[in-house]
Amino acid sequence: MPKSMRYAILEAIQGEMRRDKLLTLLYEYQRPAARWGGRSINLEAEFGRWRARFSAIDENWIVGGALGMSMIGVRAIAHIPSMTTLIPYELMFNHAGKLRHMTGGQAAFPMILWADMQGRASFQAGQHADAGLESCYARLAGLKVVIPSNPYDAKGLMVSAIRDVDPVVFCHYSVPTSGPDVPDEPYTVPIGQTAVRTEGKDITIVGYAPQTVEIAKAVKQLKQRGISAEFIDPRTLAPLEQVMETIIKSVKKTGKLLTSDDGSYSFCNCTEIIARAAEAVPGTKFKRLAFPDAPPPGAPEMINYMRVGAADIVTAAEKMVRG
Amino acid sequence: MNGEVNMNEIKAAPSTSGTDPKAVSRRTFIQSLGAIGVGAIFFSAGADKQARGQSVSTYIDSLSTEQLTAMYTDMLKIRLWETKIKDLALKGGFRGVAHLYVGEEAIAVGVCSALRQDDYIASTHRGHGHLIAKGGDLKLMLAEITHKATGYCKGYGGSLHITDMSLGILGMNGIVGASHLMGAGAAYGIKVKGTDQVVVSFGGDGSIQGSFFTSAANSAATYKLPWISIIENNQFQIWVRCSDVYGIKDLARRADGYGIEGRVVDGNDVLAVYDVAKYAVEKARAGRGPTVIECKTYRWYDHYGFQGSKIGRDGAFGLGYRSDQELREWMAKDPIPRFRRFLVNEKVLTEERADEVVQEVKQTVDDAAAFAEAQPVPKAVDGLLNVFAEGAVPLHKS
Repeated sequence: MPKSMRYAILEAIQGEMRRDKLLTLLYEYQRPAARWGGRSINLEAEFGRWRARFSAIDENWIVGGALGMSMIGVRAIAHIPSMTTLIPYELMFNHAGKLRHMTGGQAAFPMILWADMQGRASFQAGQHADAGLESCYARLAGLKVVIPSNPYDAKGLMVSAIRDVDPVVFCHYSVPTSGPDVPDEPYTVPIGQTAVRTEGKDITIVGYAPQTVEIAKAVKQLKQRGISAEFIDPRTLAPLEQVMETIIKSVKKTGKLLTSDDGSYSFCNCTEIIARAAEAVPGTKFKRLAFPDAPPPGAPEMINYMRVGAADIVTAAEKMVRG
Repeated sequence: MNGEVNMNEIKAAPSTSGTDPKAVSRRTFIQSLGAIGVGAIFFSAGADKQARGQSVSTYIDSLSTEQLTAMYTDMLKIRLWETKIKDLALKGGFRGVAHLYVGEEAIAVGVCSALRQDDYIASTHRGHGHLIAKGGDLKLMLAEITHKATGYCKGYGGSLHITDMSLGILGMNGIVGASHLMGAGAAYGIKVKGTDQVVVSFGGDGSIQGSFFTSAANSAATYKLPWISIIENNQFQIWVRCSDVYGIKDLARRADGYGIEGRVVDGNDVLAVYDVAKYAVEKARAGRGPTVIECKTYRWYDHYGFQGSKIGRDGAFGLGYRSDQELREWMAKDPIPRFRRFLVNEKVLTEERADEVVQEVKQTVDDAAAFAEAQPVPKAVDGLLNVFAEGAVPLHKS
């Protein structure tokens, strides 16, 4: 059994806390502890309460505190639960993202907003089954946004985020474990580096986090039907320039870009990817699949109908390729 | 403590009186404060009782002649530098905006005089005074206000955002209340680092109602952070009168609910402000947790800009939300002549020397204005820099 996403993230933080004696984690109720195999991580037990601190249910403290700490050179990770993704939005928007620029380069915020994200699960509903909010952060100047889809990327991106001198939003969706084994030692997945999950020549398919599961299934089915799809997981959503180089190269080859997103249709992050590809590669065919512009209902009949699945991706891709 | 006055604690605070041979016995200051009717009264903010008492200071005693003169000089710097901005702006063609601090100088100077160079402050949109009191350079500040390439923030920031991080200033901040939170976060960072630095967060009377203050105060109290929150109660939130939007008169009483000691002080009395700030700073440095200090004062100008003001005249008159009479009453409590009277009475300064200080500061301000005027404007393309530590963001105009 490979390491879980959560274990991989905590292992990344543990390694960096051993390396950087000031690195501190602020959180509310989600203890920074996990087990895997016969091993366990417990950051509070290892580093003491000052460096792994729970607080009241107070996302403004967790994020604002991390900002203040990082401003005086104490790297900090602010971990907030999934129903609170946008509570610290003002702090990230007007402070984390702006103060370096506002101060002519004097201020730095080497901090990470480790935001748990929800995803379109049944029996949750409304405030506990949302998705796509990463695009809210990705549209803000001065922030980097990463979004891993497997434990290997999660650990490598967390290490990169911690070592970065700029604020990074680490969007943590629960995704069924897949991908390569996670080494025990620290390693980095560079921010801005995409993963081409499958190479192909007929169509480019882009998606991340839980949608990677649906896309991977769809790519297999398309192959059986004689369509060679290139599947790209961006892994980084901001800044997007380097990510787009890979996507644009692929689109130039295939002439078709299909995106699949768990976020709501309007302003979903793939909208931006399509817009940039459209500017760069005239004549491309596009299709954007996404959740409707509706809150997520709890009943599985409704939410599963509304969410994009592998079959929808196959249908859309076939239509684009076969005309 | 928790909001109740603890005079024993104040009396027991260590005194360094007598260590400076030049120092006048400042004990007499307190008596003279009362004698001329400008007494430094401060009291705790208990929810169910308010014990009032004359300040019995030991901290003021230890101020040297040099320190007192520096405090007077800094107050004048704030007053005359901002008055110069007002006059330049009214003349026309001024490349910038300002939220003037005039009238509130005693707070910035009283508080920052209690700090070490390596302590931190988090400031507000009305923060020129804080920056000057923490050691800011008037030339670089005026260059920044006029968005010149050589200003503190290279022209990116302007009035609301001038800062010098090397002086421990965690930024002026255009978002009300954020200074409390950033400051408390920095105070947590100090605990992680294990140093004995402290952080002061400045905020206006409007800064404590939003959730940022709650987050800061609760965490500072819980973790006993070396944090001091200075509430500059200048009576107005833009044009909204403080008493029309708060159900309590003394805002420091809020501290009680978080388990923090709250103090109220005459914000137009620099020695009274210094005294309570020094007490709070020493307490924080010793690991005994945060203090909230409300300083009662008055804003001489409008919230923003120069409406109602004239070249060569102090104050903004004819504003719809307050009477000119009220402004005149507060201008009569001007903190600068009050302090000067003490300094002269106590023979720290002669009238002649005090006049010289005014002339010296005027010259410094004139030099700053000439410097700023002569500075180059930023390169347009530099707007694409400093978004991240490295590189430039792309331009999308073609």
